[in-house]
Amino acid sequence: MDFQLSEDQEALVSALHSILQDHAELPQAERFGYSCFNAELQGILADSGFLSAAREIGPIEAALVTIETARLPVLVETAATGLVAPMVLGEAIEGPVALIDGKAMDKAHRNLPIARTALVDLGEDVAVLAIEPADVEPVESVLAFPYGRFRKAPDLAKARRLPGAGEALRQWWRVALAAEVAGAAQAAIAFTIDYVKQREVFGRPVGSFQSVQHRLVQCHAHAQSCYYLALRAAWSGDPVDADCAASFAQQGVQRLLFDLHQFHGGMGVTTEHLLHFWLYRIRALQAEAGGVHRIGLEIANRLWPDAPAAAQRMAQAG
Amino acid sequence: MEFGWAPEQVQYRERVKAALDDLLPADWDETYVPESYASDLQVQFSREFCAKLAERGLLVPHWPKEYGGNESPDWEHFILGEEMKAAGEPRGPQYMNVNWIGPTLLKYGTEAQKAQHVQGIASGTVIWCQGFSEPNAGTDLAALRTRAERDGDHYIVNGSKIWTSYARTADWCFLLARTGPTRKDISILLIPMDTPGISVTSFPGMIKDGHLNEVFFTDVRVPVANRVGEEGEAWTIVTHALSYERVGVPRYHTGLQALELAVEQLKEEGRWHDDPIVRSRAGSIAAKFEGARMLTYLVVDQRVKKLPSNTDANLSRVASLEAVIEMLNFLAEFLPDCLSGGNALLEDYYRINIPAGITGGTNEIQLDLVAQRGLGLPRG
Repeated sequence: MDFQLSEDQEALVSALHSILQDHAELPQAERFGYSCFNAELQGILADSGFLSAAREIGPIEAALVTIETARLPVLVETAATGLVAPMVLGEAIEGPVALIDGKAMDKAHRNLPIARTALVDLGEDVAVLAIEPADVEPVESVLAFPYGRFRKAPDLAKARRLPGAGEALRQWWRVALAAEVAGAAQAAIAFTIDYVKQREVFGRPVGSFQSVQHRLVQCHAHAQSCYYLALRAAWSGDPVDADCAASFAQQGVQRLLFDLHQFHGGMGVTTEHLLHFWLYRIRALQAEAGGVHRIGLEIANRLWPDAPAAAQRMAQAG
Repeated sequence: MEFGWAPEQVQYRERVKAALDDLLPADWDETYVPESYASDLQVQFSREFCAKLAERGLLVPHWPKEYGGNESPDWEHFILGEEMKAAGEPRGPQYMNVNWIGPTLLKYGTEAQKAQHVQGIASGTVIWCQGFSEPNAGTDLAALRTRAERDGDHYIVNGSKIWTSYARTADWCFLLARTGPTRKDISILLIPMDTPGISVTSFPGMIKDGHLNEVFFTDVRVPVANRVGEEGEAWTIVTHALSYERVGVPRYHTGLQALELAVEQLKEEGRWHDDPIVRSRAGSIAAKFEGARMLTYLVVDQRVKKLPSNTDANLSRVASLEAVIEMLNFLAEFLPDCLSGGNALLEDYYRINIPAGITGGTNEIQLDLVAQRGLGLPRG
């Protein structure tokens, strides 16, 4: 058991930070948008090997890249491209990658306008779809990812099919979403702490009120648990760990969104204030990979199936 | 970063479980656990159990070798605590002895005090109670009013303590008493519970028997030689002593075990397989306990690495409490009859956890500490 990053992991994060510092600035022209995808940074991360970490180093390193990039107000797609796709396919595919629920093909999908490949969850199997930008109609959304829908339903029968890969897709999708929520939540909380220390009401900082402090700490506890659950799930490759990470992440969305918005008052609902870039990414992830109730059900089914012996698993895992 | 147990840690857990299997009576779950670990029955049992645990080297393995320990690693000490709590804490009150009373005496006690007490603790035969809380001094411990006034080579103690678990059956009291005019002029006295002038009254409550006692001190004479540390040094010593207990009870471990029991009960009643609502809730609560587990293990890892103390232990308590509250709600919603004779073990879990946000420093204090010392938010 070791909760600290290894020297190599520290070096990876440090090298990533040095790139992000130089290339992750939010352009003034994009400041008032609902989301801001940085294609240049996406390319730099791909070229410098950060999106190959899952295959070349391991999934926990890919999860660290996802967490660190999720802290940015600008968007780069590292979760599906750098973590989910390599773990499901075991090979490089053209990114960015979008993850799609096959039961809702006609809906708008997260990251579809920027994607070059989509992995479609068909239940048992996975379809790998090449995406042509001309086939996607962008859709405006308050959610802080680019959204788009297919202009014409893609022919899944002609797509490359990964038989039996559905479960692995959902497992790594869950790890990835927990990692994204962890990074975005930690960044949103740090942003909020800075704000409530400076912003004064009734002659004192907002952050000096106990009603604010206590709720901020509860948000912080949630983000910290999320961070370690996501990394544990990446480390272990255990489906229950993945389910627990995603369930935990999604259970806290309601608190994070309400409380962090509250603490910024009216400023928090303006798009010039940045808060929405993190919070509305978290909101978008709330329903993915099954959503909190379905994932809860899957945890129960795995932990407490018919055979009583299997029910001992989690308590014994210690 | 890695999240697995080393093979020797797995073996150690198995060794602890095997000891529990050997040493607990066949009717442990039916007869003893429902009485709760502070009951007279369990306290009495702890004298027998801990003596046997000591013989197996599992009572004070983390202590120095010269005092009967094996200087075992912090993770093993923590694994031992998890398994004991999961078994219903058959060490009864003696978990306090081995976790912080003994180590405090080893660090701050005189040679005479060590000679008098350490062997008794390490052999598992002595019961202590903790004379800290008072009617007007719980989390705000420095507000305590019990006084110890110097009279030659004795102190004369007057006052009262409350919520004093095990006081009815304890041999000794680890007492905090005021010895000077300022808020932190507090000293530690070790007092035999059969000293004239001490009386104990138990009172009923929501939690199980044995925890709710009031202890009255009327002109109790205590030798100055029974003071631990210097006069007025209690605050420093107790802060150190309780750092052994920073993360508190492993509530995720006992909580997951209770959840397991609840699932078994629901299955037996045919209310599990056809009800996705109850299954989804149970799965979500398991995830909450896993989140709490992560923050607790983080603190143990920091202790193992001898990193400076911070507020992560307070944060872990916050996370654990949230999961416990969900578990109590789950029981009340789906198995309400466990509080009316339906399942004694689940009733015990529920009742022990009624004050989960109060014992060992209220949740609000944990939140204050993290907010101000951890997140750097300004004081109000």
